[in-house]
Formats: sequence, structure tokens, C-alpha cells
Amino acid sequence: MKRQGLVVAFVVALSIGAAGQQPPPGAQGGNPTKAEGTVLKNRAPVNKEVLRVTLPRPKEADLSNGVHLLVMEDHRTPQINFSMIIDGAGGYYDPAPLPGLAGFVASLMREGTATKTSEQLSEQLDRLAAAVTVGAGISSPFANVNGNGLTTNLDTVLALMADVLMNPSFPQAEIDRYRTRTRAGLMQNRTQPAFLAQERLNKVVFGDSPLARVAPTPAALDALTRDALVEFHKAHYVPDRALLAVTGDITLEQAKAKAEAAFGAWKKSGAPLPAQTETAPLTGPSISLVVRPNSVQTSLRIGTLSIDRKDPDFFPLTVGNRILGGPFGRLFEHLREQKGYTYGANSGFTSSRVKGSWTASTDVRSEVTDPALTDLIDEIRQMRDVPVPEKDLTNAKKAIVGSFALLLESPNAILQNYVDRYFYGLPADYWDTYAAKIEAVTADDIQRVAKKYWGADRLQIVAVGDLAKVEPALKKLGAVKVYDAEGKPIQ
Amino acid sequence: MLRAISRGLVPVLLAVVSVSAADGPVIKFTDVKLKNGLRVIISEDHSAPTVSVAVNYFVGSADEKARRTGFAHLFEHMMFKGSENVGPGEHPALIFTNGGSMNGTTNQDRTLYYETVPANQLELALFLEGDRMRSLDINKANLDNQRGAVQEERRLRVDNQPYGQTFEKTGEQAYDNPAYKHSVIGSMDDLNAASVDDVATFFKTYYAPNNAVLSIVGDLDPKKTMALVEKYFGAIARQPDPKRPDLTEPPHTAERRSTIDDPLARLPRLDIAWIAPPSQTADSAAIDVLSDVLSSGRSSRINQVVVREKQLATGAAIFAADAKGPGLISAFATVAPGKNPADVEAAIYEEIEKVKNGPIADWEIEKAHNSARRAQAAQVTSTLQRAVQLGEYAMFYNNPNLINTRTEQILKVTAADVQRVAKKYLTKENRSVVTTMPKAAAPKGNQ
Repeated sequence: MKRQGLVVAFVVALSIGAAGQQPPPGAQGGNPTKAEGTVLKNRAPVNKEVLRVTLPRPKEADLSNGVHLLVMEDHRTPQINFSMIIDGAGGYYDPAPLPGLAGFVASLMREGTATKTSEQLSEQLDRLAAAVTVGAGISSPFANVNGNGLTTNLDTVLALMADVLMNPSFPQAEIDRYRTRTRAGLMQNRTQPAFLAQERLNKVVFGDSPLARVAPTPAALDALTRDALVEFHKAHYVPDRALLAVTGDITLEQAKAKAEAAFGAWKKSGAPLPAQTETAPLTGPSISLVVRPNSVQTSLRIGTLSIDRKDPDFFPLTVGNRILGGPFGRLFEHLREQKGYTYGANSGFTSSRVKGSWTASTDVRSEVTDPALTDLIDEIRQMRDVPVPEKDLTNAKKAIVGSFALLLESPNAILQNYVDRYFYGLPADYWDTYAAKIEAVTADDIQRVAKKYWGADRLQIVAVGDLAKVEPALKKLGAVKVYDAEGKPIQ
Repeated sequence: MLRAISRGLVPVLLAVVSVSAADGPVIKFTDVKLKNGLRVIISEDHSAPTVSVAVNYFVGSADEKARRTGFAHLFEHMMFKGSENVGPGEHPALIFTNGGSMNGTTNQDRTLYYETVPANQLELALFLEGDRMRSLDINKANLDNQRGAVQEERRLRVDNQPYGQTFEKTGEQAYDNPAYKHSVIGSMDDLNAASVDDVATFFKTYYAPNNAVLSIVGDLDPKKTMALVEKYFGAIARQPDPKRPDLTEPPHTAERRSTIDDPLARLPRLDIAWIAPPSQTADSAAIDVLSDVLSSGRSSRINQVVVREKQLATGAAIFAADAKGPGLISAFATVAPGKNPADVEAAIYEEIEKVKNGPIADWEIEKAHNSARRAQAAQVTSTLQRAVQLGEYAMFYNNPNLINTRTEQILKVTAADVQRVAKKYLTKENRSVVTTMPKAAAPKGNQ
């Protein structure tokens, strides 16, 4: 593997400026003096005009088996990328006793078909520098079968992609191998503070919903059978609600003809899409501590339920979140630039057919857990209590609208917007009116959504780190539930 | 304007049109030097209304003095803390507010700064890069301000991560020459020791126009762009050319080994590093193909045999990193539960011996060739990637056209070449092995 492009050697030392007070050697932490933070001299030659772009629309067609086709032509380079996105085949629909089954199916589809072994598939694809991959998010409703390569190899790539999609054989030997490797992976997950934080936060935000899942359980791995794989594949990998998203050096007509030839034998099942249900409302705030021995940092998360993708609050929440936790937003400015507690601090939210989550995140050295958490909570409070100044509002909107120009370098990114539009049922002109809707957001709108979603009674606090250094800070805020790194309560 | 430009410029390579054996369009560019020595590479591409600016400075952690490990990267942070006409943090604020993205990154050999912006903000990006190259604001408050973030970055990426110390040990043990021996992030003690004088000297020595390459790719007018470059960079004073570090690694005569305990890890891990020749030397392309045969893709020998067939490791890979000096061919494997690191190591060596003694199938060589072709085809999809590559190839090898010709080197490599370099470099004497063991027994159950 040769590393090219933006890959740095050995220790990746990516960084962007700034920090806080230097802690004295051997006595880090305490109460560093506040630093100046960002200062604007306003002498730079900024072009006042926001470069407005209209996203090109993909061309659309329907295949005879009901698959909807989206094609975004990109003739800059002789490559093609075919993504079959299958609604209903993701981990959201795992049967309750087998959390992770959809992911097992996706991983094992690539490990052999009726006519080809795993090795044969790999050899054929690798020799062409092509790829066929299958993925299914553990809490997502979607699975994705992807084929990509040079345009000259289009027919081979599509034939292998279709074979993997329609004829996986799930050999028992591959299942056994997969089980062993995945079990080790689950063990490795628990060494990562980010995993432990996500696992706990999802539990307190999403409760019993499948949206809470972050990884399969060892029990599900143990219980996995070939029959379960075959059955899930048969029931869920159906074209009825699938979308084929294509980018590359190809036209709609060519893509349609190639897709009909490759996927024509994939027949409709007629079964309806299984439902998704909303998460139960939050009943109050909570504080959780996951003990990770030998930690030198505390991973802090504050999360809550957000919105579904069609909610009109999407726009004020997008702008408000940008101000609070976007690139060089308030969390970054305050916790890193002024206080020097952390390398980074940010926030973001997810939304789909059902409500997603909103999360603010930072990792701070253990000694400053208390003041960092206090500041994090206070920044969120200010969004509720104080209208954002006009300057912050204007800058955030400009940043969001202006960055649309950068999307035009990536037809895949543009197409993803139209994939979202398709699956979430957004209006046909959604991306044409997006900028205007962002620009219409007011300070009042932001304060309203901050109060609605970031109210103190909705915020779930999760910390991962050293028990002795973290627990006192959390206890000041209320009752703390303590878990070990296996996710089990220990108090 | 045009006349003024042509007076001040020294052509390095005129508009390059090269015929490439690989897929994908040829990337055309101009390549000139300002009078102060700043090398400027411009490549026009109107397929999207964006432009990327990359400034490569020829300084990295290999240039650091003794007891100043981590300094090149700490300095990189200083570059965002203001200059004569730009306040602390104003550079990122302006880029993001105007729809762009930006960052900086440091490795052993170079420090890179970059922006991608909507095409109508090109002047902003050039102004910001020019102002800090000319007039960085150096003071104790800014330096102290940076140290904390870098130290938290070290905690985040190294000290709080399983196998974090493994990366540092691998480099320390593999090299004798101090240039590449220490990590880019550096030690806490050395970061604490960095002074304002260090910053001022470093800036003057290395952040001079004659030690940098400015590359600009995207939706631009070359003449107007050159005029802006002259305006914002032309008056920056040249400095004496800095002395390049001696990167030479003395020949190794015996295998190096160690075992370290890691309280944050749960599975053992094996890391093997062999010293390789510098990139873009006679054996480099063959080493690339060698690493493809051993480890590229699911079909590779290491994956098929060590991971899948023998199930000794849950993951394993071998790769050759680009480096201006002697880089590493690195192998790592996460040892499967219940398996022995020594057996994993033996299995990796067995696959290497099979490559040395053949046969290598045609399809394995074809895979490496096609992989290079595809990488070349893909590079036109990002203005930033092209800007970075053009700059690095110009700076390291005085040959930005490698962006078009590098693939040709790979296409010439044969199975015999692969075997020759495997025998030459993947030897016992040339390798350094670090085994990382979980310090405490993994807790029972993984629920």
C-alpha cells in the first residue's frame, strides 16, 4: 500500500492553531489564566460576495424491478461508482435476539457466492484495482452494496457486484472466521474512550431503541447461524425500495442499460418496509461515568434527542449548532483557544426518518474535568438564555452557504444530498431553496430551538476516564451512575 | 502587470505537457520562482468554482535540535496565532466564515498549510499565507498559548490510546540517526522547554520564501493569480538557504527487539520495521509493488494467509511510507486472542520468504500496476490533493511532474524487481521488532 495524498508519516500530527495557558511541568491542570482567544484585525481582503452555486441535479430513471436510479455524471476521470442502497436491510431491523445481524450479513456477503469463493472475488477485484463492498450501519435502516473501478472494467465490476448482492453463499468456514475476528474487534472497542462514551451516551439518549446500538454483542456473535444469515438476506435484500446511486464517467442511458443487465434478475418481494418508531421521550437529565483505568484524559459528552430530518427546526438547529460547536465555534474558542483544556471541542446532530441525537464532545486532561464540564454546560446555557449577536449569526450563515461551492468538487457528495432527499421524502426543490432557508434563520429562531432541545432537563452527561479524578466533578451536578469498561454498573 | 511578472520570475519548467502511460488526464501546470526564491506552481482547472492553496515549507521534525523534539509541530500551531495584519485565530475564522476549509500538518520532512476556498476568495487565502510568511507574530503569550493544545493533542493521540507508546518505540528503536528517531509530536519535557527565541530563530531560518513552495490549483486566472502572488509574497525577504539535516542511516548489522507493556491494550500487537531507501530512488517503485503484493487488498498474501487461513492475527498489514530520507517498511499485526506473537511473526516472515524465492503470479504484479493507474485517475477529483502533491514533488525531488509520471515507474516494475528488493531490504539484520503486551490481564467477559 503506497500512501499518497494527504497522508502524513508515522505519528499523524494534524493540527490547527491555538491553545490555552501552558501548564507548569509536573503540575498540569488547576486553574489556568484565561488567554485572549481570537482577535479580528479586519484588514484581510475578503470578497464580500458569497459565491452562490446551484447544485446540479442527478438524472433519474426507474429500473424494471422498481429500483430507482440516480446518475451524477462526472467525466473528469475514467472511473465509475455504483451504490445500491437498500432501505430495510440495515441494523435497525435486526431481530431483537441478534443485535448486529444485519452487519454480519453485510460483511459475509462479500465472503463467497454460489459460484465464487471469497479468495476468487478478492483476486478478480484487486487485480483490476476495483472494489465491491457491502456495509450496513448497526443502527441504520440502510445497507449499501458498492462497486467501483476504472470505467474500462465496468462490466466486470457490475457482474461481481450483482453476484455478491443476489447470490451470497455464506460458507460456514467464513462464518467461523468472521466470528473469531469480530469477537476480538469487540474486545478492542473497549480500549477506546470514544467507543465507551458513544455506547453510554446512546443508551441514555435512545434507551431501548435500535438507534442505541453501537456494536453487536458477543452473545449475538455466539448465537449467529448460517440460517439466520440466509433468512435475513432473503427477507431484507429486496429491490422494492432500493436506490442505485451512480457517479462517474457514464451517462444515464448507459447506466440504465448496464444496471438492467446486471440487476434485472433481482425480483420484487412485495413486502412492505418494516416500520421505524420514535424513541421514547427523555424523562430528565442524567449523569454517567464510565471508568477507564489509566486514562490521562476525560472524554466528556453532553447529548440529547434531536429532530427528524423533515422537521423545519432543521435550519435553525443547523445554524445554532454551527455557532455553538461548528469549526472554530464557541466551544472550540472557549475550551481550547481561551482555556487550553483540550485539543478540540465541537457539537453536531443526526436526523433521519426518526429523531436522531445531538452531542457536544471534548476530551480534556483529567485534572481539568471539573472546570471544563462547567464551561461546556455554561456555553449551552448561554445559547438558551442569550440571543446570538448579529455578527455570529451572519458569519454562521455565510459559512454554511459559502461552503456549498466546495461541494461541487465532489459529485459523490452532491449525490449524497439527493440520496437524502429521496429517502427522507424532502421536496424536489429542497437543495435549490436550502441556502434561502438558512439565510432566513433569526436569532429568535435559534434561541427558541436552543430552549426546546438543549434545555437543562434534557441534557445527558457522560464522562469516560479515571474514577478518582472524574467522579467528584460529576457528583457536584447530581447523582452519578458509574459503569465499568464492559458497560456494567459498578455502584 | 504581465511585464512586471515576467521580469521578476525565473522559469523552472515551462507549461508542462507530458504524455502519460496511465489513465486519467495529464495535469498541466506552470512552475516559476519569484526573485526571493519562492517557487510557485499554478494549475488551472475550471471544473468546479473552487481553488486550493498549499504552502509546503521544507522543515519537519527531522530538522529539530536535540532536546527540542516536537518543535516543528508546535511551531505549526504558532502559524495560526496572528501576524502583522491578521489577529490570533483570525486566519481560520476568515476561511471558515467565507465557506472554505483549512488546516496545517507536520511530518518528519515538511510542514504543510492549506486552504480550499470558493474561487472568489483566492485573494483572501493568498493574503493570509503571505502575511504570516512575512510577519509572524512571535511572543511568549502566543507560545504558551500553543503548548497546552499540543500537549492535549499528545494525550489524545498517544498517551490515552492503546499502542500509543508503540509508535514512538518503533521509531526510536529502528533508527540510530536522531533525525527520524523521535516522534513528530515530541516529548512533554521538550515541549515545555521550547522558548520564544527558538520560535524566532526557527521562523527566520525555515519560514523563508526560498525554503517554501506555493502551489495553487483550481478555478483561477493564471495571470491574475501570479499578480496576487507577487503582491503578497514578492516583498518577503530571502534568507540564507537552511542546512538540510543529514538523514543518512548507518547500515544495520543486527536485528533489534524489545517488548513493552501497555496498560491500555487488551490484545498483543507486533510491529516490525525495516529501513528502506529514500523515496524516488532506484528501488522505490519496486518496494511499492512489494508492499502491494504482500499487503494490498483482501487478496494480499498477508491477509489471505496470516489473517484468514492461519487466523493468527485479527488484522495485519505491511506498507512503505514516503519519506525524503530512509523511510520505513512497516508491518503490524494485532495478535488474535489466544495466539502467540512469535507465531504471528514467524508467519509474516514465511510469507516474505515466499516472495523472495518466488513465484509471484502475474496477477499480483498486475494488481499493483492497476492500483497505481487508478490512483492517478483519481487525483484530478481534488484540487487540494493536486496542490499538495505538486508542492511536495517540487520541494523534495525538484520534479512536480512526478504527478504525471510516477505511475510510469510502477508500471515498469517486474516480479524479478520485487524479489530483488525483498531480498535486499526485508532482512533480519535490517529489521526492528517491537512486541506490545497488555499489562493487565483482560477483564473477564466482553459484554
